[in-house]
Amino acid sequence: MPAVIETDRLTKRYGASRGIENVSLQVERGEVFGFLGPNGAGKTTTIRTLLDFLRPTSGSARLFGLDSQRDSVAIRARVGNLPGDFAYDPRLSGRELLEFFARLRGLPGTGRAQLLAERLEADLERQLGALSHGNRQKIGLIQALFHTPELLTFDEPTSGLDPLMQEEFLAIVAEEREQGRTVFLSSHELDEVERVCDRVGIIRDGKLIAVEHVAELTGRAFRHVAVEFSEPVDPLEFARLAGVTHVHADGRKLTFRATGAVDAVVKAAARHTVIELELTRPSLEEVFLSYYGKDAP
Amino acid sequence: MTTATAGSVRDGVRTPARSRAVLAALMRRGLRDHRRAPLIWGGSLGAFSGLIALLYPSIEDPLREAVEGYPEGLKEAFGIGELDTAAAYVHAEMFSLIVPLAVAFFAIRCSAKATVGAEEKNYLDLVLATPLRRELLVAGTLAVTAVSAALILLVVGALTWIGGVAAGTDLSLGSVAAGIASVWPLALFAAALSLVGAGLLHRDATVTGSASGVLVGMYVIDVVGKLADPVEPLRAVSAFKYYGAAMQDGLDATGFAVLTGAALLLAVVGAALFARRDVLH
Repeated sequence: MPAVIETDRLTKRYGASRGIENVSLQVERGEVFGFLGPNGAGKTTTIRTLLDFLRPTSGSARLFGLDSQRDSVAIRARVGNLPGDFAYDPRLSGRELLEFFARLRGLPGTGRAQLLAERLEADLERQLGALSHGNRQKIGLIQALFHTPELLTFDEPTSGLDPLMQEEFLAIVAEEREQGRTVFLSSHELDEVERVCDRVGIIRDGKLIAVEHVAELTGRAFRHVAVEFSEPVDPLEFARLAGVTHVHADGRKLTFRATGAVDAVVKAAARHTVIELELTRPSLEEVFLSYYGKDAP
Repeated sequence: MTTATAGSVRDGVRTPARSRAVLAALMRRGLRDHRRAPLIWGGSLGAFSGLIALLYPSIEDPLREAVEGYPEGLKEAFGIGELDTAAAYVHAEMFSLIVPLAVAFFAIRCSAKATVGAEEKNYLDLVLATPLRRELLVAGTLAVTAVSAALILLVVGALTWIGGVAAGTDLSLGSVAAGIASVWPLALFAAALSLVGAGLLHRDATVTGSASGVLVGMYVIDVVGKLADPVEPLRAVSAFKYYGAAMQDGLDATGFAVLTGAALLLAVVGAALFARRDVLH
């Protein structure tokens, strides 16, 4: 069974400008893959190249084992896409838009659109131009989902949605995964990515710099360490240790970050009387920021 | 979850029946978008043209005297014959320049809006995320433009004929039909120019401006070519050489076929270019 998405050194340049550079990744069937990066990092370019809106400068992409350029029509029959900036003729109602897309897809009707509209509390009868950004985004989500595609590509899907609807969206994504469908979720909402994604890819300046399981990414990253001693200690004792940064002393309490093995930290602490020792994993957001900070790889 | 080979999947979304259904969906959508065009474009051009026909009897005699004094070259350049019939007068006033250029401009706008205009507004990302071949999008655009232009011309023709009949002129239905029929392939040609532009450029205004500029340039070449012998051979590349004066001389079948053929050829080129380029927005 081929990977649902497979790219091999996929590169897209806009003249002299950078788009994406040698992006190689695999997304398996039934996986929710988060694609992280700030604006302009190359997330949207990647999706648009996968869907053949943009032609690669070099490298290749295969979806469902099919060539992204030669077989793009067949691929798009199996994909639902929500673009980053969802927009369509403001004179159309949501229902008219869905009926049009159903006809373009050769479907007899609008499938589960009504059900999705009820879940997302979307108004299908109003013109798109009369809807708020959030309510228009709901129509965008429905048009991506209504034909029950095998692969969903979402570019900033919760933009403009209120917290309740964000929850509903995450529930829908989880259900899609349970039913064996694949989701490629581009976002900079780290909280939602952490909650719903199996793996994440981090893209920076057009280059894929990490692909990890969410748990591994946060698990292998630095730890927040907080130690309370019986009496104040010299923070330099810990600042000198390899992998220790951000040392801060507050009376008898010392906080810092420790990367890698914490054996040296524990041994250094053991030279004093420890009242309390706490090690916590960072959030995905902190890990993400570490990739973009000055110490980033 | 089903599995299929690349070939079978490709074939499944490219059958003639499927293409026809997609084309029908695009046309239905496009014609709905332009449903007011026959009323607005056809109504305004038709009202003007009908008024010209209506006025003809009251200015017939002074007009004949005035035209007799025009230089022959000027009359030939602007297709002004002896203006001794309502058909000749309506052609000279409306169908030698205003109606063909206006309907051609509509065709350019209609085609640019559905392709590069949709790209600029981010609509294409949604449409092209469906299993739609870009060539079909171009074909649908041309078909919508062709039908909309025909409806506009029907309204123009109807109002012109009504004006002529109301004034008691000899303007026949046949003359009017020939006049509007000769504008249609020119509009198709203009739409195809726009589609070639959409295959090369990414801005609606640039495509509209370029296609309009080419068309106006062709008109100038045709006019100058009629006046200056050294320029005359260049008229062969001007669409207006094949346009003629159907309202007074009857429909030139060869000119009609040449313009229609050139339009289809350009549309094929436009579709190929559009299918191969990036969709940027």
